[in-house]
Amino acid sequence: MLDTDENDLVARLVRGDEDAFLALYDRYSSRVFGLTLRILGDPLLAEEATQDTFLKLWNRAGLYLAERGSLVVWLLTIARHTALDRLRLESRRPALSESYDIGDGWHSLADAGSLSEESRWRSLSFAVQALSPEHRRVIELAYYQGMSQSEISEVLGWPLGTVKTRMRAALQNLRHAWNET
Amino acid sequence: MANEHTPFLENVPAYAIGALDAEETVALEAHLRACESCRAELAAYRDVTANLVMTTPPQPPPASLRETLRGQMPHAPKKVTPRPVSWSVGQWALGAAAVVLLGLSLFGIRQVQVLQRQQAAMSRQLENEQAALAMLSYPGAENLTIEGDNVAGRLLLDKERNAAVLVLWDVPSIAQDETYQIWLIAPNGDRTSAGLFRPESGARLTTESILPTQDLSKFTGLGVTVEPAGGSDQPTGPRLFKIDF
Repeated sequence: MLDTDENDLVARLVRGDEDAFLALYDRYSSRVFGLTLRILGDPLLAEEATQDTFLKLWNRAGLYLAERGSLVVWLLTIARHTALDRLRLESRRPALSESYDIGDGWHSLADAGSLSEESRWRSLSFAVQALSPEHRRVIELAYYQGMSQSEISEVLGWPLGTVKTRMRAALQNLRHAWNET
Repeated sequence: MANEHTPFLENVPAYAIGALDAEETVALEAHLRACESCRAELAAYRDVTANLVMTTPPQPPPASLRETLRGQMPHAPKKVTPRPVSWSVGQWALGAAAVVLLGLSLFGIRQVQVLQRQQAAMSRQLENEQAALAMLSYPGAENLTIEGDNVAGRLLLDKERNAAVLVLWDVPSIAQDETYQIWLIAPNGDRTSAGLFRPESGARLTTESILPTQDLSKFTGLGVTVEPAGGSDQPTGPRLFKIDF
């Protein structure tokens, strides 16, 4: 949940304080850009999506509720939606060979969350890394490319039933890891 | 009962990550409205999928982006500072123009004036209203009627300029942990989120600009649902209205 400093920044942001906005930008722009770049695979598109995300933060800060979860997760959720919308708009589906090496993507760094939140995020990262390559692939395509199970089946050449089984198993594993912390 | 329930339960994880196909999504959403245990499962999986964002490594954006955003911020504190518009009309004429073009009665003129005074302290709302009125003057803008069970209004749509504005009367209030979410609907039924909004307390008129990150010509409808605060990956809650265009 929010610390006092961030609570104050959000309250000021809702009132239109530009300094508060820039402080939050400085705090989270790397997270947002990293995620949008991961999804879009293009620095220029990622920059635009990052810009759109922070403009949405500026316009929608009043909708954020601290009791629902971390500001950073809320902001990154907006970023993910923004990037996936842009991905669909561009009809952009990078070839699998252009995708980031799966091994590059799954680690978290220290963040401005509570100690317990950081611990859980780290556990989640480890859990993702511990997934089998097949399980990780379906999560990758669903989460970072916004693909449906049918689309994943077509792209990977796997039977739809196999995709569904692997998706379900992967998410069950991640849920178990998330709840264990 | 368990046999009927199991297929839906098996689809919950894929739905939570946004990977469920359209036909199964429609069936699951219908089931979720009536099944508390599946909703609880969905909430548990969403807790996981929402936090997957924290497993992506940070990467600094170009330094110029900070200055670009700084330049886009309003230069004055958030209060009513009418922005220059291409037509020079007073407050009454602005209300009258809205009434004429929206087909409201004389009572509506006064209502619009009262509403505009009530909302005059909120610059964002004023900007949305100005956007709506500007769109009414565009020759290519469509002015579509919205009729829901609990709400009425207009959808102002200009595909050429890729702009849209919702103008809604008497939007029902919602709980503090809820939000209204706008969905653009593709021909195949896929939903794409187009923004969140909450009605202002005590205000009878709600205007909301549709964020123009999508190409509106690729969609054939728009809907609004009630979702948990922060929004959802796909519609999960009751629908306020749906309109085809």
